[in-house]
Amino acid sequence: MPAVFHRVDSLLTLIAAKAAIQVLRSWTGRSLMIVLALALAPPLFAAATPDLEEQTRELAAELRCVVCQNLSVADSPSEMAQQMRAVVREQLEAGKTPEQVKEFFVSKYGDWVLLRPRMTGFSALLWVLPYVVLILGVITALWFIRRWVAAKKSHGPVAGPSASAAQMRSEFFKENFARPDPEDSSPRASLLRERARLQDELNELDFDFQSGKLSDSDHIALKQEIEAKTVAVIEQIHALPPKAPAKPAPTEKSARGTDTAAGADRSRLRRWQLVTGAVFLVVFGLALGVMLTQSVRPRLSERDTMTGDFLTGTRSTNSTVNAALAEGKTAFAHREFPKAIEAFKKVLTADPDNPEAHSYMGYILLQAGHGDGALMAFDKALSQAPNLPMALWGKGMVLYQDKQDFAAARGIFEKLLSLVPPGEERNEIAKVLAEIPAGGAQKRTTAAPSSSRQISGRITIDAKLKAKVEPDATLFIIARPAGAAAGPPLAVKKVDRPSFPLDYTLGQDNVMMQGTPFTGKISVTVRLDNDGNPVTRGPGDLTGDYKKNPVEVGAKHVDIVIDQLTQ
Amino acid sequence: MPWRRLVITLAIIGPILALLAFGFTRDARYITSPLIAQPAAPFTITLFDGGKLALEDLRGKAVFLNFWASWCPPCRAEARDLEAAWRKVKDQNMVFVGVALQDTDGNSMEFLKEFDVTYPNGKDESGKIAVDYGTWGIPESFFIDPQGRITYKHVGGIRAALVIAKLEEAAKGIVSAQEGKGDYQPIR
Repeated sequence: MPAVFHRVDSLLTLIAAKAAIQVLRSWTGRSLMIVLALALAPPLFAAATPDLEEQTRELAAELRCVVCQNLSVADSPSEMAQQMRAVVREQLEAGKTPEQVKEFFVSKYGDWVLLRPRMTGFSALLWVLPYVVLILGVITALWFIRRWVAAKKSHGPVAGPSASAAQMRSEFFKENFARPDPEDSSPRASLLRERARLQDELNELDFDFQSGKLSDSDHIALKQEIEAKTVAVIEQIHALPPKAPAKPAPTEKSARGTDTAAGADRSRLRRWQLVTGAVFLVVFGLALGVMLTQSVRPRLSERDTMTGDFLTGTRSTNSTVNAALAEGKTAFAHREFPKAIEAFKKVLTADPDNPEAHSYMGYILLQAGHGDGALMAFDKALSQAPNLPMALWGKGMVLYQDKQDFAAARGIFEKLLSLVPPGEERNEIAKVLAEIPAGGAQKRTTAAPSSSRQISGRITIDAKLKAKVEPDATLFIIARPAGAAAGPPLAVKKVDRPSFPLDYTLGQDNVMMQGTPFTGKISVTVRLDNDGNPVTRGPGDLTGDYKKNPVEVGAKHVDIVIDQLTQ
Repeated sequence: MPWRRLVITLAIIGPILALLAFGFTRDARYITSPLIAQPAAPFTITLFDGGKLALEDLRGKAVFLNFWASWCPPCRAEARDLEAAWRKVKDQNMVFVGVALQDTDGNSMEFLKEFDVTYPNGKDESGKIAVDYGTWGIPESFFIDPQGRITYKHVGGIRAALVIAKLEEAAKGIVSAQEGKGDYQPIR
């Protein structure tokens, strides 16, 4: 009994004791009634409460925990299941019947919430089908048993006039009876050959019957006929004096050879049937086993389905990818980078868009000093999972420490901060964010001429257009060679979900065609694009340009105000 | 005839296997909610600013009801979108209501402050509202028409444009048969 009921029980006992003292003092009838009522109350209360508890537990056991994998509300330790149990108890206490409580949950979650499907509609099949299959199975089994019994009966002894029943039975069922020498032409040998021929005929008859070519009645009649002949031959053999050798007739030899070949064929056919049946059963069992194990495994991610790619064709959750991913992570944790690279490559071969593998590759490249490669890997990961924290962290670190693009790094860390719930990780992000120096970018330590090969400035938005900014818009900072109003840009920088004012830099790293020098005079424009596609230009996009275009590469304070609305 | 036996065997086993295969590809949680086109369950919550809000009092307005928690990353991802959508429609006959689930008051209020959420938000203390709305993953959003009927349900993160579009449909009483899906976090 739960502690709370013990407490209530004790409290009532205490009250009863106090009332008893009162009775001893006054002995009035009224007090006696109180004592009786209170003395009876605890057992009554104790009898009612476990009932409710038991009823709640029983009902909860029939409801599915909606946040678990195949667990009932009664068995699940989750907070949601506790809340559902509380609702069940509350409704039972309010006087609802178990059926009404179940109906309540069905009206909220659908039939799925019931662990025991209903006997209506399509669900009724689940109840009926097993019994139908059972009945069919029993009927089939009985049919086979009947046939076997019939076959055994037909093999029963057919007593001859001059042989004892036991001797005849023994002789009749003797399979390895003596086969005569082919050269032997004695009467015994002829009879033995006839005996063998009849035995083969009998086997053939059984085979025809089992393969459905003969009806029951025909089978029994023919069998009895052959058996009678066999018995007659056996009797003749028994009646003969000890053998005298003789040469066999050539025609008989040929007949015996044909019979033997036919018997071997039938034997092969039976073996083939047995092997096929066994293979089918094994394949069926394996298929069912795989399905079941796939269905009860835990989900690997929020996007994962119950069966992964087994039946649905979804990518990235098959066992090879998961195994390689796990192997790569372990190797990465042990700093065995060549092994980790191999594993992540394997993942990317099977699933080229796997964001986790791209992120880990980014970290490996970063620690090897390949900032550009790392940035590309993190971008690939983010193109598949824009909110993947590990990719955002990696990209932020590349931009902050390798590229020293502080404005962009700040944007990434701010986004990450908004995604990560409060805790140690969040504190770490906030710490890094606080460490990033103010301003757009600093001179890169690795590329000496980079500051002279970039422009920097601040982008703001006109107050009148602030309300027009879509929350998920993308900002493109575009540089074109001076005088070129159209054609491919020289360099482009993309900033997702920008917040204004935005400090930016545009340099050699942003050129569209690798190897093209970012030098000379350029015109700088910006576009805040609603659909995130730099090629399309739609109504509602906001644009702005540097008022003193063209500008020499290396200039600072190339400040731009977004002040135009595309109609 | 052997082929006849094979056909009969396949005719029996085939449908059973097909039924199994069909079942294994389904995620029962995505079977259309029975709540669509049904009256929204009434509730009253205490808001984080101390006030009270009853769903019944919002009759006559299109309501966007959002279940969230501060520990849920997809809820954080959609928070700015929801606020942006709210600022766009707040002058129309539309209301946003946020209901925090399985969360502490402190964390919830910090979340609201961090994302500068200005629409009314309260806490589902007992989890009863969540059960009433059949929630299993958050964020989970419901759109309710002026007559108090649920017109659309979206499990997972939702974007501002969809919120506005579905609210406009709700205002006209248009019911969407299909549920929306996005990144979600199972309730604990």
